[in-house]
Amino acid sequence: MNMQQWLELATVLLFLTDLVMLGLSELGACIRMVAIQGILLGLFTLIAREDVLTARLVILGVVSMGLKGFVFPFLLSRDIREAKVRREVEPFVGYAASIVAGLLMLASSMWIAARFPMLSAATSSFVIPVALSTVFTGLFLIISRRKALTQVIGYLVFENGIYMFGIAAAGEIPFLVEFGVLLDVFVAVFVMGIAINHINREFDHIDADQLSSLKG
Amino acid sequence: MLPYDLLYGLMLFLPCAGGAICVALPSPRQILATMCATVAASALVCSWIVYRVFSGGPAEAAGGLVYVDALSAYHLCVMMMVFVASSLYSWGYFLKEAKAGRINRRGLRQYAGLWCGALAAMTLVLISNNLGIMWVGIEATTLLTAFLICIPVRPASLEAMWKYLLICSVGVAFAFLGTLMVAASASGLHVNPSDTLLWTKLLQSAALLHPMLLKTGFLFLLVGYGTKAGLAPMHSWLPDAHSQAPAPVSAIFSGFMLNAALYCVLRYIPIVEITTGHLGWSHQLLVLFGLVSIIVAAAFIIFQHNVKRLLAYSSVEHIGIITLGFGLGGLGTFAALFHTLNHSICKTLAFFAAGRLGQTYGTHDMKKMSGSLRSAPVWGTALFGSILALIGVAPFAIFMSEFQVLKAAVDGRAILTLILFLAGGSVVFVGALGHAIAMAWGKPSPVVELESAGIVEKFLSFAPLAILLILGLWMPAPLLSILKQAASVLGANR
Repeated sequence: MNMQQWLELATVLLFLTDLVMLGLSELGACIRMVAIQGILLGLFTLIAREDVLTARLVILGVVSMGLKGFVFPFLLSRDIREAKVRREVEPFVGYAASIVAGLLMLASSMWIAARFPMLSAATSSFVIPVALSTVFTGLFLIISRRKALTQVIGYLVFENGIYMFGIAAAGEIPFLVEFGVLLDVFVAVFVMGIAINHINREFDHIDADQLSSLKG
Repeated sequence: MLPYDLLYGLMLFLPCAGGAICVALPSPRQILATMCATVAASALVCSWIVYRVFSGGPAEAAGGLVYVDALSAYHLCVMMMVFVASSLYSWGYFLKEAKAGRINRRGLRQYAGLWCGALAAMTLVLISNNLGIMWVGIEATTLLTAFLICIPVRPASLEAMWKYLLICSVGVAFAFLGTLMVAASASGLHVNPSDTLLWTKLLQSAALLHPMLLKTGFLFLLVGYGTKAGLAPMHSWLPDAHSQAPAPVSAIFSGFMLNAALYCVLRYIPIVEITTGHLGWSHQLLVLFGLVSIIVAAAFIIFQHNVKRLLAYSSVEHIGIITLGFGLGGLGTFAALFHTLNHSICKTLAFFAAGRLGQTYGTHDMKKMSGSLRSAPVWGTALFGSILALIGVAPFAIFMSEFQVLKAAVDGRAILTLILFLAGGSVVFVGALGHAIAMAWGKPSPVVELESAGIVEKFLSFAPLAILLILGLWMPAPLLSILKQAASVLGANR
């Protein structure tokens, strides 16, 4: 297989992780799937640019693989253990409907990407639609799942989509910015973990839909 | 020039170092004193830089990563005023909280450390020339200030904190998507990768950017940073966070954090306008969001029971007015910048007063806070005066800047805008005035302890009102020139 085919394989696998995540019912499995998506993204970084593999991309790929594939999932599973919550995702939208929504999101992403052909100039034409539909999947997970922890998983997926978009469409982002962003996401996951811990202690649950006493 | 590189480094390093020291100190007094000293030292460094920019023109440093022009220098001034006043105020506020046993040493350390960190992050936003680093700074303020909301930890404050953390993180992530699109729109320029997102570079070659990508990017940026700035309809986190946070934190939220997020949008306006050929495309969007914010806030202000929620919705209204001003352009840009200063001074004072009255009454419910002029003369007057100023009573400075926004709308023949702005303003006027009068002169409710205001508190409550009064009657020449310089960055003199 040449580079182009490897890239398309990675992209398709990334989209499959989105779909699987929409259909998973167990929290732990969701976290493992985010980890797999993180590792795939790291590999994707290494092969995304056909032209040259710069040292910049190698370091970025390795660091983001380490963070997204191992550190974040570790932090999240620690949160589950400490919160001692029921391990089910408890969606507002059923699993089958979620997967259908995932396919619709891919279709609309393809429509959007077709209107911006210049974004896909440097890479395979699959990449931008999958990046956008990963962004949508993240948003969908944040909105349609009950637990605060699934909202964090949704935020991570959302962030993964943006990262993928950045690598594919705007590959020339300065190093400093990339690392600033990774640092911010790292702190965000950390801070959200602490927040979930506090919420669990005060309320005895981590259901975000029950956080509704402040109104008006 | 090396010394100036060092100064900019110091502006970021001082708050970080001060915050780290605060976390290690033993007694409440020492922690708060170190925090105040840190903020004061940063303010000194900052004022030197601001002075240099206004006397000698824009300054670039650190190999182009740092760029301070009149617009950022002006925002630096506003930020430092809000931070210095709020730090002084939190001295009295938190010593009282500590005495009442509502906050322990651990909470206070956390507060001081995060406070200094937030200062560093906001400074980073303002001095950064790289639009990506600017985004990193805004996201850092979200993460650093999240735990400031839940001091002390209560169910309601946790709920507010979670909403703030999630809504703002997701919103600001949209802004990053927008930043990436702006970077993609510049890919035809073939500049050095490390220069792609430099504001100065983008402005120089704005005519060569890809218009459609830039416009799409700007939409994402406006929605993303607009979430953090509290523009309706993305403002849903704002009333909760402002009402649950301790008073000094609400003061920096309303007094500066919203403006910092709006500042990020402002940076893109000259670029978008050049690329789209000065058709006012971005300005129209700003007018739209500004008007929606004013009207939504007006509708909610009438039905408020909690004084801090009332002030929070008033912030949505004022950010709307500022955005509207920038959208109208020309005189409107000038008025919006002037309004930024006035609103920050006034809202900071209003939250100070609401916080101390809340401590006296043990609640923020406006019905139970009636008769505040008699039970707490200093802060009662301050709250009443600041609400009067906020709703635009002449001759306070807010009246003047709102009047200039109106004039800009008339000059631009924007009749519908004018009508909607006036309607929203009148509803806020009537609604908030009713609440304020009841609080000031209603039947005094029994209070736990009578207010004892020290000299610092008297100064903090009357100086802002005096400044607003003076600025309303007379515009000093240096301020006029500063405002004009800042407005010209946004292309207002064209």
